[in-house]
Amino acid sequence: MPEKPQLSREAIRFVRFIVSEMKPKPPYFTAFNLITVPIVLLGMGILVLRFAKGLGAVTNLSQDFPWGFWIGFDVITGVALAGGAYCITFIVYVMRVEKYHSIVNVTVLNGFLAYVFYAGALTLDLGRPWNIINPIIGNSFGFNSVLFLVAWHFMLYMAAEFLEFSPVIADWLGWRRVKKWLSAITLGAVIFGITLSTLHQSGLGALFLMAKPKIHPLWYSEFIPILFFTSSIFAGLCMVIVEGTLTHRVLKDHIDPDHHASHDEIIIGLAKFASIAVFVYYFFKLLTFLHGKQWTMLGDFWGFWYALEVGGLVLIPGAMLAFGVRHRNVEIIRMGSVLAILGVILNRLNLSVIAFKWYAPVHYYPSWQEIVVTLMVISVEIWVFRWVVSRMPVMRKSRFQ
Amino acid sequence: METYYYVNIFETKGLEYLLLMAFLVLLVLLFRYFNAPGSTKPGRKGWGP
Repeated sequence: MPEKPQLSREAIRFVRFIVSEMKPKPPYFTAFNLITVPIVLLGMGILVLRFAKGLGAVTNLSQDFPWGFWIGFDVITGVALAGGAYCITFIVYVMRVEKYHSIVNVTVLNGFLAYVFYAGALTLDLGRPWNIINPIIGNSFGFNSVLFLVAWHFMLYMAAEFLEFSPVIADWLGWRRVKKWLSAITLGAVIFGITLSTLHQSGLGALFLMAKPKIHPLWYSEFIPILFFTSSIFAGLCMVIVEGTLTHRVLKDHIDPDHHASHDEIIIGLAKFASIAVFVYYFFKLLTFLHGKQWTMLGDFWGFWYALEVGGLVLIPGAMLAFGVRHRNVEIIRMGSVLAILGVILNRLNLSVIAFKWYAPVHYYPSWQEIVVTLMVISVEIWVFRWVVSRMPVMRKSRFQ
Repeated sequence: METYYYVNIFETKGLEYLLLMAFLVLLVLLFRYFNAPGSTKPGRKGWGP
């Protein structure tokens, strides 16, 4: 019976490997750690208070404003910014553009973590978080509701993205045959994931269709689902550009030299896709603007705020991306990407928080605890991302090649 | 009886048609802008090969 001792030896080896990998690696006292550790500790304390005493103890939410910063930023904005994963997997696995293959793993990892943390942050905002299982088990839930679709899509998309990333985990664990098997099902998971993304990105916009009287007419449109989908394309691609730039500066020791050398070319290619997406989005915005005769509403503060979003944070970054592509200037592309991301953040916050019930005499604004918890979610996501990239072959060549 | 004016650019959705045509023309121009020759000048930070 030689198999049993061999199996137990392998299990012990596996546990030891996992335990050794769980240990943090130096340097410990980096500027990022020194800033994020207090934020995370404070955020955890606030969450204890939130679950012990309820939402009212730490948030400014009310019956008039039941959706606040956690939904508006973490869920609705975070999911748009995670759109890079479905765009890159579509370009690489469906369009077969191999130039971007080196960034697939890191983009899918970013997308997966964004969904886990930002969509996961939804549980913080539910008055009865244990009811989050209801749409999954079909308990007292409207099967025709948009939220039902969004809930199922989030869950299935997280599973699809985990499957897309799983060959990297198998590689890290040294499971050659498992990796081969998982790689074989990647294409199916990718197509499934892209289909889900197109639907739930627009589905998040469709949530606002039923709130027409509550949203300022400059932001409300029957085309919100299409606007959400098209803006998620350039938001995701710009996020890939910004994250890629930061990763190449901070985690350069974990990046393959070939990948490092081709980084500028990849950024220029992504910026071209992003500028075309901005162009399409801008025309949809122009269409809703003309269709709704919205120029009559530009005279007050809300008109100025709208012009800032659509002109300053969509048109200008779109032009910067196109100019950067034409002149192959990566610095301008990076600046344009940051502005485009700010534009999408502002758009989502305008719809869900700022221009939502703009007529109310007492308006909602986030409490400091809500902002700290959001920063905590972002910090923990970056910690997990750094842990994975520094241990698994995300941006390095596979050991089986 | 409701009167329908065919010259009203809003009622005929003429504005949307004009916008669509402008979109298609400008999209072609955008692609030509990307692919026009002589778009690179060497010697600046971030310039590709």
